[in-house]
Amino acid sequence: MVVETVAPAIAIVPLGAFAIILFGGLLPKRRGFGGTTSTVIGTLAVGVSLALSAYLLFAVWTRDMDAFVAAEAVWVDGIGEVPDLTVGVLVDPLSALMAFIVSLVAFLVHVFSKYYMNDEGETGLSRYYAAMSLFTGSMLAFVFASNLLMAFVFFELVGLCSYLLIGFWYDRPSAASAAKKAFLVTRFGDYFFLVGVAFAFAGFGTFAFHGEGSLFTVAENAILEGGTVLGLSAGNAVTILSLLVLGGVIGKSAQFPLHTWLPDAMEGPTPVSALIHAATMVAAGVYLVTRTFELYALSPTALLIVAYVGGFTALFAATMALVMDDIKQVLAYSTISQYGYMMLALGAGGYTAAVFHLMNHAFFKALLFLGAGSVIIAMHHEQDMWSMGGLRKRMPVTYWTFLAGSLALAGIAPFAGFWSKDEALLSAFRNAANEPLLWVPFGFGLIAVVLTGFYTFRMVALTFHGRPRTDDAELADEGGFSVYVPLVVLGLLAVVAGFVNAEPLGIHALSDFLGASGFYEAASEGAGYVEEFEVSLVLSGVALVLAVVGAVAGFGIYAGKEEPLKEHGGAVTRVLEKKYYVDHAQVWLAEGFTYRLSKVLNLFDLDIVDGGVNATSKVSLGSGDAVRRIQTGVVAHYAAIIVLGAVILGFIVGLAGGWF
Amino acid sequence: MVPTSYYVLLSAFVFAVGIYGVLTRDNAVVILMCVELMLNAGNLNLIAFSASFGDVAGQAFVLFALAVAAAEVAVGLGILLLVYREHGTVNIRKPSFMRW
Repeated sequence: MVVETVAPAIAIVPLGAFAIILFGGLLPKRRGFGGTTSTVIGTLAVGVSLALSAYLLFAVWTRDMDAFVAAEAVWVDGIGEVPDLTVGVLVDPLSALMAFIVSLVAFLVHVFSKYYMNDEGETGLSRYYAAMSLFTGSMLAFVFASNLLMAFVFFELVGLCSYLLIGFWYDRPSAASAAKKAFLVTRFGDYFFLVGVAFAFAGFGTFAFHGEGSLFTVAENAILEGGTVLGLSAGNAVTILSLLVLGGVIGKSAQFPLHTWLPDAMEGPTPVSALIHAATMVAAGVYLVTRTFELYALSPTALLIVAYVGGFTALFAATMALVMDDIKQVLAYSTISQYGYMMLALGAGGYTAAVFHLMNHAFFKALLFLGAGSVIIAMHHEQDMWSMGGLRKRMPVTYWTFLAGSLALAGIAPFAGFWSKDEALLSAFRNAANEPLLWVPFGFGLIAVVLTGFYTFRMVALTFHGRPRTDDAELADEGGFSVYVPLVVLGLLAVVAGFVNAEPLGIHALSDFLGASGFYEAASEGAGYVEEFEVSLVLSGVALVLAVVGAVAGFGIYAGKEEPLKEHGGAVTRVLEKKYYVDHAQVWLAEGFTYRLSKVLNLFDLDIVDGGVNATSKVSLGSGDAVRRIQTGVVAHYAAIIVLGAVILGFIVGLAGGWF
Repeated sequence: MVPTSYYVLLSAFVFAVGIYGVLTRDNAVVILMCVELMLNAGNLNLIAFSASFGDVAGQAFVLFALAVAAAEVAVGLGILLLVYREHGTVNIRKPSFMRW
């Protein structure tokens, strides 16, 4: 079957391109090839992936395939009861859709990169495209992962690539430090994930996502039989496993309290930000929850926690986006907030809503970042929005596409974000009837809608409207073909993508495609959630009104303003600008608390452990020093000692032989 | 025939004289001579028991031992010569450069 060849190739092609660029592009100039060839190879490889994944999506969509493992290889042979560890390519509607989204966004980002990166006498192009290919390839491999262990491996690779790319301009201290921060913070979350991986294997004896003995079936049976897993009741074990996996998700998807790496990650090149936010790194977290949703569905507690993390993060990040002056920072916080919505939807059992929002967000956030990239290039790397203004006339294509993305982000009908955000809220709203605790994250989500509209249109107003505030803004100029193509494609998607699953209009193609009813059943059995989401036009209307109010307010307040409005803000603004002091708290935790505690604990090491070792050596040295005095160098003394020894020996032998 | 025990007693006496000499004398040449005494005490034992058991092997051993002793004395005297050149004396209590 063709599909079985195509699916693995989607991930392998960019990984192959990575190898080629790595060995060809990083060689000394005369023997290897330059940045231009690397650009072509990287872009072509992702283009091939895009074509293949489009075919795969088409095949899965039209042929109505069941999930199947397209290719599988044994990595480590199992012994006795322990099953083999395998690497496999799992094809199902979710992975096919996600692979398409990832390769589409990655391809457009590659095209845009040609404009953003190549025009500036950049020397590290081969490095850039090698890392981008590895990034895309490992994300695609993660998407297709057929078991938890493989997912973990590629999850980590994605993290590594984001480290490489955020720190692409490693000679800037801020970029190097942001890269380290991203790596360490996400690694902190991944630590829990790793424990979860081990826990899954120890407790349930399998990693598989699919098939008879999959992790989900085993877990479900364990709960039905009421057995114990590792000394815990099966239900508790599932909850713990879900929460451990959630640790990795919170790190990667930048949910509270591990969101701090993401705004700093804006130090990377803007196309990288687009890729990280829309399709790869950050998306990996939420994708992991959708992939293991059957597991979460078994545990009401885990679902509630997911919903709370998501709802809170959505609001929390949105408030910080209100006061940021750097255009990329606004987008960074909006990303955190939007992923919060996806988590909220998942926690409320809204499987389709989460995937739907993941897809729409990938399109409009990639669009917004690429638009911002276009603006930043035009402004000669000035990112402060107060230095911009009036760019609307100078950069029409960027403006109109950015506006489409903004409308989608703000959730204004009929743009993409409206439909999916509405559905996310709807799932929380419907299930709150059965699970009153969901009202709180739902409320958070609803408030965040106003804020989203506000900060989005504050950004639009400051960047594109009013009069130019600097000379750069006055003379801004748009790039060429490789800017227009990605912007226009994504701009169109931001307008129309929402109609794939416009529930209020009675369209639920995506839901059917994903086989979402199965997941709703799982959630209703596991957590008592409703099986059918009845559309609430009232809720849609309220959300739309809130979004419009926010947008109009944001636009109205900031359009045409010349000077920052900071001084009117007072204490609240200060707290927001300091990002709720979460960074400070984390630094305190590291330096003020952990470091001091370590110093105290170090005393134990110094005094007791090292003390013991040192005492041993001191005794040896001292006794050696004393005993060596018998080495006088006088032959007669040695002779005497030898004779004395011989006499004593003879005496002992005699005593033992019974001569005396 | 002289009883074997007489030879053994003589050998013990010679050995004791040798040890006494090694421990008490300062002159390296004398010490070397005393060492020879101890060695020959051993040889005496070998011959005595060889005769007592009627086995010639012991006597053959002694011939070898004498040859080896001659070589050993040559080496020992050579060392002494060097010591004398270096320190101007063969008093073994004087040179103590190989100490801690």
